[in-house]
Amino acid sequence: MKSMTKLLAAAAATIGLATGAASLAKADVPTWCGPKKASIALLDGYGGNSWRQVTTASAKQTVSLCPSITKYEYADGNGDLNKSISDIKGMAAKGIDALVVFGDAGPAVLPAIKSVFKKHKVIVPYRVEVGGKEGEDYTKFVGASFVDDGVSWGNFIKSILPSGGNMLFLSGPAGNSQGLDELKGLKKVLGPEYKFLNPEPFDVTNWDPALTQKVLTAEIAKNPKIDVIISDFGPSLVGALPLFNKSGRSIPALATSDGNSLGCFWTDNQNKDNPDFKLFTVATGNDNARLAVEWAVAKATGGKDPAETIFKAPNFENSVTGVPSKVQCRKDLPGAIYLSSQLPAEDQAKAVGQ
Amino acid sequence: MSQTTIQPAISIPPLWATLPAKSFVTVVICTIALLIVCWILAPSSVSLGALAGSLPFAAIIAIVGLGQLLVVQQGGFDLSLAGAVSLAVVTSTHEAHQNNAELLHALSLAVGFALAAGVANGILIAVFRLNAIIATIGMNALLYGGVFAVCGGTPSITTELLANIANGQFIGLPTSVFFALAALAIVTFILKKTTVGRRFEAIGANPRAAQAAGLRVRLHQLMAYVCAQLLYCLAGILIGGITREPTAFQGDSLLLPSVAVVVLGGTSLLGGRGYPISTFIAAFFLNQLSQFALAVGVPYSAQTIIQALALGFGIGVYSIKWSVNSFSQTKLPKKEERK
Repeated sequence: MKSMTKLLAAAAATIGLATGAASLAKADVPTWCGPKKASIALLDGYGGNSWRQVTTASAKQTVSLCPSITKYEYADGNGDLNKSISDIKGMAAKGIDALVVFGDAGPAVLPAIKSVFKKHKVIVPYRVEVGGKEGEDYTKFVGASFVDDGVSWGNFIKSILPSGGNMLFLSGPAGNSQGLDELKGLKKVLGPEYKFLNPEPFDVTNWDPALTQKVLTAEIAKNPKIDVIISDFGPSLVGALPLFNKSGRSIPALATSDGNSLGCFWTDNQNKDNPDFKLFTVATGNDNARLAVEWAVAKATGGKDPAETIFKAPNFENSVTGVPSKVQCRKDLPGAIYLSSQLPAEDQAKAVGQ
Repeated sequence: MSQTTIQPAISIPPLWATLPAKSFVTVVICTIALLIVCWILAPSSVSLGALAGSLPFAAIIAIVGLGQLLVVQQGGFDLSLAGAVSLAVVTSTHEAHQNNAELLHALSLAVGFALAAGVANGILIAVFRLNAIIATIGMNALLYGGVFAVCGGTPSITTELLANIANGQFIGLPTSVFFALAALAIVTFILKKTTVGRRFEAIGANPRAAQAAGLRVRLHQLMAYVCAQLLYCLAGILIGGITREPTAFQGDSLLLPSVAVVVLGGTSLLGGRGYPISTFIAAFFLNQLSQFALAVGVPYSAQTIIQALALGFGIGVYSIKWSVNSFSQTKLPKKEERK
């Protein structure tokens, strides 16, 4: 009889535990994940760099939080517009319910996006503007606030150079909207006492480290006094910054986006040769993909729409105040990862294949 | 006997024919003129700091230019340059895993890939007689496949040792310049001072005549592609060191300059005699032109236009001389000798 009681007690405990675990699992399901089953695909226009690989891994991890998603697929356009278009149309034809699109080619992919939307699929372009209108051409556009990045950099520059200074602003390809928005943000905060040394609107680098090095060589030779360099892709500066020391000058302050290689470079160069080398970074923005996935999943599964519609990259490192973080460096991990990302550093290392 | 008596009467060379090649004189004059313009309008672009920073890139253009020169001398074009340089970049950086001890293994692998690509290009073009442009476009796609296979398109940080070698200085000049000078010396010596080199130029000028003369045309043409790939590989390895964290597509921006310096150096796109030294100086010219545009601080669109105009001007200069040559050829044979 005693043993029977024990058995019953054990069974009751097991049932209780199982029920508790189930309710706990239910509680863990995010609000943007609805009950309707759906499949989702992430489409990159150009996925061949570490930033994209970390971003893709972040998106995949976000998808895995929603049990209603039955299938996850990924396609990389390899920088080929035709392939990007055929990827978008092909995924829809395969019966995928929700598509998250990084439209690298901009408005050129809009017709493909629109054709998918017309087939009553959920399609969410993100980060790069593709033109068109929400509700007419696509379900939702999840942009990034590059103006806010400019404002954050501007505030840092004001804090270290309160009476003005000489600035060099480097961005990617000529006329890219990201650089133009960042400039707007900078000009919101900084007055005429802050002088841009570069040609309007920014020095073109194509985010290519070799071109960055050439551009910086010319600017260093031309300008005897550079107080701060602003760049929207910090890691591409790493190869070029030693040029300052070669010219017998201190590396100036940097306002940029984060990257492990940059953090380690800063750490390695804190010496008497570089008294002016201060570093401020905003998050590189891999988590922009998470917000886009949340929107796509919410719309496809009948979940609750996320509160945010624009991804705001948080400030990350500040070598002067240490707020929100001191400069971070993980020498044991590849340089091409982004410690600001929500994805754990070790998982990023796996994502970039190192 | 009759030759010795007639020749002085019909082919007394004009004074300039005894001077250095016209292409050399032209490119040197253009470069000096550019340096003067730089000195007047944008002195910072000829400062020691600017030269030290930009010379490594001039060296890289010179090395890929020498590779392209060898192929052009055989009447071909090597469009696989972009993929070849990119593959060398990712192999030398990714395969070394930021570990100096693994650098030699990574570099050997890069050289191995270059040899394989060169032999494949050579067989397709010299043996199977495929059009050089088509064959090398295909090879380029294959090499980019290799880039993705090696690194998945992700850039890697270079090893400290390679960065130190490529960024080092020797008697005040970047080491990459010495690598370029070594490549120049080897190419020039082989082309101008060895039997193989003289045959190589003869085959480029007229493969059919060379075949009739019993020269091994296919082998020489094949070797042009192999040597070119080795030079691209050297350029890729240097880029891997100079830029520290290169992209996986670093070769893309070198294809046009490689052809441009060959043309500016005075080598005919129809093949034949090559001008390695002029090509080398043209690389410096082209790089300095881009530094000048950057130093002047004009918008990016204007920078591109300035470079395009200079290139057009350079080609135009040779076109004019070409017609002078054609005209004077009626009196003086040996056109190839005088270009």
